[in-house]
Amino acid sequence: MSAPREMNTETQAPAASANPCFPGLADGLIFFYAGYFSQNIITAIGDAVRLRLEQSDAPGSVRRKIFSTFIEMAQNIVHYSSDTLTPPDQATMEMRAGSVMVMHTDGQFLITCANPVDAQYADKLKSILDPLRAMTTEQIKDAYRKTLRADTEEDSKGSGLGFLTIAKDSSAPIEFQFAPNEHGLFMFTLKATI
Amino acid sequence: METLHLPATSNTPEVAFDFAQGHLTLRGESYPESAAAFYGEILAKTGNWLDGLQGARVHVEVQLNYFNSSSTKMLFSLFDRLNQAAEEGNTVVLDWHHDVDDETILEFGLELAEDFPAIEFHAQPIES
Repeated sequence: MSAPREMNTETQAPAASANPCFPGLADGLIFFYAGYFSQNIITAIGDAVRLRLEQSDAPGSVRRKIFSTFIEMAQNIVHYSSDTLTPPDQATMEMRAGSVMVMHTDGQFLITCANPVDAQYADKLKSILDPLRAMTTEQIKDAYRKTLRADTEEDSKGSGLGFLTIAKDSSAPIEFQFAPNEHGLFMFTLKATI
Repeated sequence: METLHLPATSNTPEVAFDFAQGHLTLRGESYPESAAAFYGEILAKTGNWLDGLQGARVHVEVQLNYFNSSSTKMLFSLFDRLNQAAEEGNTVVLDWHHDVDDETILEFGLELAEDFPAIEFHAQPIES
């Protein structure tokens, strides 16, 4: 029995920079996780992200921004993904599904997260993210300072600073989309560039 | 209520608040699932201790490697309360340790210094 031709090619001539564990994946992939997220899982994969970044040539300040963006995105999934294993009204020890990916391409780090949301929450996110995307760096810093000093909104499980923190660290405007899925929900994706 | 001590975990800092000595230390990582839950007790106990404190010297040492956005908000509340105590006649000194190349943590420290001028603020860069 002969192996498929493609496999043979890869075995005989592996690219020097190919991803060692996942040869089929892009060289620029630093980290990818898809599945259920809980605080424990975030802490564990956060360690892996940190170690992986230490092996890259990114300076400390960039590594810190990537880690911060990763944590904010992962904690958003735990708090707000509509795909939840724990009851929707349970506020602690939550476990919800999504994905986070860190890529390194053309000298930039791209951090992307995805999780399903319902239509109502999609509208709410749009009303926060549309203005945020249109802001200049200075405006983002101003909004951050104001939110830091403001009372927290009641329906937030955090501080209302999460997206501002991501946008503040991003060197390009954040990108997002809502793609309808077959369950009448929307797959929310958010991308930051560092 | 003389001390509040919580050992560090992978996502919460060591909390060593020695109220009798007026020495409050936070050290480590801070990204709990719910910062409001984690810092709730810390804020309440510190607030109770500061109520009625007069002419005391309070030394606060913060050496956090990373804190998430919701912890940021809680830290801001903590320093708001400490600033109030300083305005009421106590001396509050804050040693704000940050990695030399960690602009985010330094910037937040400077925000605290700007908003809470009654606190004596010292940025303490750590060589990495």
